[in-house]
Amino acid sequence: MTNWNKNIYRSLIISSFLGIVVLILLGIGKTLSYLNTGADRSSMLHLALDKDQAYLPKVIWKDTINPGRPIEKQTLLDIEKDYLNAWYIRQVAYQTNWTSGIDDYYTNSAQQHIFKNLEANKQKDIIVKGTTTNHNLLLDFYSADGQLAVLTDKNVKEYQQIYQKDQLLLETEVQSDYQVMLLLEDGFWRIRHIVKEESQISKDTPQTDGFVKVIGTKIYVDNQEFQIKGINYYPQKSPWDMFGDDFDINVIAKDLDIMKTMSLNTIRIFVQYEDFGKAAVIIEKLQKLRQVLDQAEAKDLKVIVTLFDFYGDYSVLDWTLTHRHVEQIVSVFKNHKSILAWDIKNEPNLDFESRGQENVVAWLREMMLQIKQYDPNHLVTIGWSDIASASILQDEVDFVSFHYYQDIDVFEKAYNGLNAKINKPLVLQEFGVSSNLSLWSPFGVSEKKQAAYHKQFQEMIKTNTIHYLSWTLYDFEEVPTSVVGSLPWRKHKQKYFGFIDKAGNRKKAFEFAGN
Amino acid sequence: MSLERKHITFWLLIFLVCCIGFTTVLNTAQQVSAVLETKQKVFEAGDTIELNFKLNTPAKTQLFLHASFGSTVLESDTTRYTLPEFVSNKKGIIQYTLLHNSKAIVKGTIQVKANTTKPVQLESYVGPPSIIAGGTDYTMQVVVPTDIYDNTLPDSTAMQLKHQFLESEKEVGLYSKDMIGWLNIFSYRQSGRLLMSSKVRETASKEFSIEVFPSLPEDFQISSQRKHSYADGNQISEFITSVLKDEYGNIVSDGTLVEFKIKDKEGAILQTQSGTVNGQAIGKMLHPDHQDFWEVRAFVPGIAKSNVIQLEYASVLDDFEVQFFNDNREIVVGPLLSFMDQLIPDGAIVALKIKKDKSVETKIKSSSNGVVRFLLKEEFYPSGKYTIKIEALGVQKEFLQTLLK
Repeated sequence: MTNWNKNIYRSLIISSFLGIVVLILLGIGKTLSYLNTGADRSSMLHLALDKDQAYLPKVIWKDTINPGRPIEKQTLLDIEKDYLNAWYIRQVAYQTNWTSGIDDYYTNSAQQHIFKNLEANKQKDIIVKGTTTNHNLLLDFYSADGQLAVLTDKNVKEYQQIYQKDQLLLETEVQSDYQVMLLLEDGFWRIRHIVKEESQISKDTPQTDGFVKVIGTKIYVDNQEFQIKGINYYPQKSPWDMFGDDFDINVIAKDLDIMKTMSLNTIRIFVQYEDFGKAAVIIEKLQKLRQVLDQAEAKDLKVIVTLFDFYGDYSVLDWTLTHRHVEQIVSVFKNHKSILAWDIKNEPNLDFESRGQENVVAWLREMMLQIKQYDPNHLVTIGWSDIASASILQDEVDFVSFHYYQDIDVFEKAYNGLNAKINKPLVLQEFGVSSNLSLWSPFGVSEKKQAAYHKQFQEMIKTNTIHYLSWTLYDFEEVPTSVVGSLPWRKHKQKYFGFIDKAGNRKKAFEFAGN
Repeated sequence: MSLERKHITFWLLIFLVCCIGFTTVLNTAQQVSAVLETKQKVFEAGDTIELNFKLNTPAKTQLFLHASFGSTVLESDTTRYTLPEFVSNKKGIIQYTLLHNSKAIVKGTIQVKANTTKPVQLESYVGPPSIIAGGTDYTMQVVVPTDIYDNTLPDSTAMQLKHQFLESEKEVGLYSKDMIGWLNIFSYRQSGRLLMSSKVRETASKEFSIEVFPSLPEDFQISSQRKHSYADGNQISEFITSVLKDEYGNIVSDGTLVEFKIKDKEGAILQTQSGTVNGQAIGKMLHPDHQDFWEVRAFVPGIAKSNVIQLEYASVLDDFEVQFFNDNREIVVGPLLSFMDQLIPDGAIVALKIKKDKSVETKIKSSSNGVVRFLLKEEFYPSGKYTIKIEALGVQKEFLQTLLK
């Protein structure tokens, strides 16, 4: 017994000795490697800086003719990049009350003015979350030695949220002109002077071609009153990934034919923010989207394109990136006859809790202006997930969209209540029921009940002449985790909303998909 | 039953009280309104800016400010707000918003102008720092006058820009625009140093200088200088340029590179180069070691060229002695005698070519005390008959069928 104890002690002593040695060696190693780190000499060349532009407001050079000397294209790009970076760094500084990076983009004397302001805000616990959405630049002067430039920045739209002690104090949008002097120092164009000036408010509303329009509570297409009779659509093999590798326009064309047989006139499809390349939209994706839109036009179907699917940032500093995203998509299709409306975001009210309602609503409001700026021809809506949220931004949207998955028996009442409140067309943008009766959900809905549900809905739609789009054409084999989470019964439910089952057979509800 | 009624009345009462309470709270929130009492809308940087609001009911307010360098929020227990210096000292439009319970109740703008009463501060930027004489090249003088709060002075601020060059001193009066005043100063015909300064009101700038370099050189002349005209392979010939000047007579900058190209009688090109000092460049070249004829021309590459000069080099000897020893395996060339029959200075090149059948081997040695000695070892040159050719200072001698034992 004593022997045993001895051995235990021995092994303990030896192992702890080894452990200490290992720790000491590790410590020495870490210290040495820490001492070896430091500024890389190549960092002096600023080569690795700003690989990704994090701030992309719309910049237009209105005029670069100046009395000093003609400016080179490259210098113009450098000035633009550094000027925007200066704005970005300043926004970050005011958001964090931290001065990091200011010295790169403001000269020594200009920095002081910012520092004093930041210090005051810090003491009062004020932070300002801001962004600018556009800059219209005029070059006033560029010096002969290429080291000094003066420019005027017209009609800069600045959006700001001011927080005090984490409470939103004020949301403000300001339009200003700025005159700016920049000096080339250490390879950076740094702001030496910036002076805010009175801005002439110019409200030139973009002209719409009027092909689709809303008058009162009615939607018109080509001067004909139009009732949306539609369906939310994903191809059966690629749900929530319509424009991915499995994209096949022939499959989609066939599906569109099926919808025609269901006497539908509209489809709703989804464009994912990341999938389409975020701020730099991928051309191939746009081409795929064009193919779908062209097919829809050929088959005389209207399309509601839902943008920003799976986007969830909404932070003020991320605005400009989403603006570039939307610009590249909607400006390409602004004359496409098949598009009925841009749906900015699917069910954004579900992000209210995690991202803050004020952030989401402010983002949507600005996005609406952005879309109208690049595409005045098509309608804009927001796909709210319930009736309660539907009145948010009702004055800004062209028509109000909402989804309804609650009790079918109280729908009419809820709908009429909303209708009385809102003076715009209402679109029931999603509704449906999953025929998920199985082991996973023993109390689920059978296909027969699903048919009855759609039948009942169609009757209500008919009596009230409601714009509708049902969910969805197909039952799906797989539902990505990002859609409804990883819980198997939720996924299972999401698979059986279709009018056509996994084997391609028409379910009982099929005949009630349209009227 | 009566108890229930009592209950109902009680709850109704509470409900009523609540209703009244809430409506009053709501009403006061909606009713707060204000006007700006301060009439002044335009201030000068450095002024104390006080904004005084008049509220219809006492309420707690905050003032949001949006200015050139950023935004801030002010708090005050009264309705009087004094703008902090970092706002009131900076030129530009200031937008203010008076807030009550996060609601804007008054909005407006005031303007701060640069301070024109206190002394001016000057910043000058001059460049490029060196230009070329002749009046086509120019440097730019940019003057940025600011007030003591680092605000640029308004457009149309008068300023004097001065410069001095050699005997001339000039002063140009102009008005600022877009924050700056600027002037292009073109070079004069002479090279030299150009000094600049400026003045806005009483404030004078520092002195700035730029260098005016001479323009490009014009074509020039060269001459030669040598100790004698013999091709002794020992002395050095010098080629001397005239003073290189630009079209305005300015001596070109020291260090302007001149290339000398020499063509010998066989058409081969020799080259040497030199930088100018006080406008002159001197190229040097070793004399040839055989009779030769040189044509020399100098260039500033791509810019200017000289005339061609011709030089003749005379041979120093007509013949020399060759002695064979040790079964012809030791060959002594010399003494080599130069033009006055003196022993040629050490280092004259002598080449020996040994030919057997088709193979030729060349041995090269330089003279010492006028003599060169070649040893042909048996290990390398087995016994037999060789043709031996000796070349020195342009003279060739050939010994056919020399027997090496």
